[in-house]
Amino acid sequence: MEFVSPEGLRLDGRRPLEMRQLRAEIGTVAKANGSAVLEMGNTKVIAAVYGPREVQNRSQIINDQALVRCEYSMANFSTGDRMRKPKGDRRSTEISLVIRQTMEACILTHLMPRSQIDIFVQVLQADGGTRSACINAATLALADAGIPMRDIVTSCSAGYLNSTPLLDLNYIEDSAGGPDVTVGILPKLDKVTLLQMDAKLPVDIFENVMGLAIEGCKAVVNYIREDHQFKH
Amino acid sequence: MENKQSSSPASFIDSTIVPGDVVLDLSSMTNQTIKLGGGLRQDCDVISAMKAGTLRFSKPNKYWIESSQKRYVPCVEDTVLGIVVDSKADNFLIDIKGPTLAFLPVLAFEGGTRRNIPKFELGTLLYLRVVKANFGMNPELSCTDASGKAAEFGPLKDGYMFETSTGLSRKLLSSPTCPVLEALGKKLSFEIAVGLNGRVWVNAASPDTVVVVANAIMNSESLSTAQQIIMVEHLLKNIQ
Repeated sequence: MEFVSPEGLRLDGRRPLEMRQLRAEIGTVAKANGSAVLEMGNTKVIAAVYGPREVQNRSQIINDQALVRCEYSMANFSTGDRMRKPKGDRRSTEISLVIRQTMEACILTHLMPRSQIDIFVQVLQADGGTRSACINAATLALADAGIPMRDIVTSCSAGYLNSTPLLDLNYIEDSAGGPDVTVGILPKLDKVTLLQMDAKLPVDIFENVMGLAIEGCKAVVNYIREDHQFKH
Repeated sequence: MENKQSSSPASFIDSTIVPGDVVLDLSSMTNQTIKLGGGLRQDCDVISAMKAGTLRFSKPNKYWIESSQKRYVPCVEDTVLGIVVDSKADNFLIDIKGPTLAFLPVLAFEGGTRRNIPKFELGTLLYLRVVKANFGMNPELSCTDASGKAAEFGPLKDGYMFETSTGLSRKLLSSPTCPVLEALGKKLSFEIAVGLNGRVWVNAASPDTVVVVANAIMNSESLSTAQQIIMVEHLLKNIQ
């Protein structure tokens, strides 16, 4: 199947190096300490952060840092066919772990010992790149909650189809069976905190695709800085 | 993509900051003694932001990030509104919207002895002062002021409590008096207790007054002085 037409247009009319439209809003869940809704094209996720608060399970208290917990779930109606088991399946558990490790790397946990920070992300509409959208939403929710962080974390995915590196894959391009590289970076510190890939890529092409994903992450950073009012 | 990293520190003051932003570069400053307030941290020669908010500066050398959250970070000598969660032999456990529960010693009352320990039901609202807020330990509270007198601390009876952000609590306690409170005070009589931890308690003779005051305060979060006065006039017109 042709994912990039001879004129250089993808299935949804984008150019290979073009990201989908980003939209975000913070403070959407009134009860949570911090929350954000983020859309990357048709993928829509909502993140809510509770904490730092008292640890609920005494056996899990860490004496010199905060406990970060994360739960990723997809709404039953988020994909084309109604899902029977939205959380607890292997993919959700894996993504919860990935998001937790990524956010834990940037939260200054040693400033809040013996407390707990809960991050809940739910996918409302899934069209590829849910992992990246969840990390971006979680970053905004953590900043909205005023939790001290080293830097913001942004994430974006890139792939390689029809011999062309493509930025920000949607669901159809993702299901094509080609490689899907997801990168998470700390922009100011210029460090990579998340790097995942499925399928195979030769090393030189991988460098290209990873560089492209990092450019996508930087575009998310610009959006967050320019279009967001964290002032009160 | 523009690169703002090379700007001088003066340009960041009073502008919106996001975690990770470098606000000061000590190696390029002449006067190297600066005082860092909340929300900033030092990483070798560079001062970067930990929280999102507005960078503020006060002469000669104080920098801090002004931000408003729903959760509270306990600080010594803050006055807060706490809710009793449990009572132990030596302390009451109080929820002050912080990272951990706070302890209120049973003797921390005016004229408190082992014989007249107060009995608080779970859920009682108390006006308290933070005595100790050490890192890694549960904060300690007291129902007396520094000299041991009761001074308005203690349980708050009747009235209505609602939650706000920490930024709004600070604005309500600022001097000169916050415009919302001044405008309300000209027409209504009510009693108010503001906790720096984002809780406000209001009491008045009639329930309508309580509702109007609570709504006015909750609406005033992001309004300027003139807008606050207009908003209060609008609300008062509806009850008179």
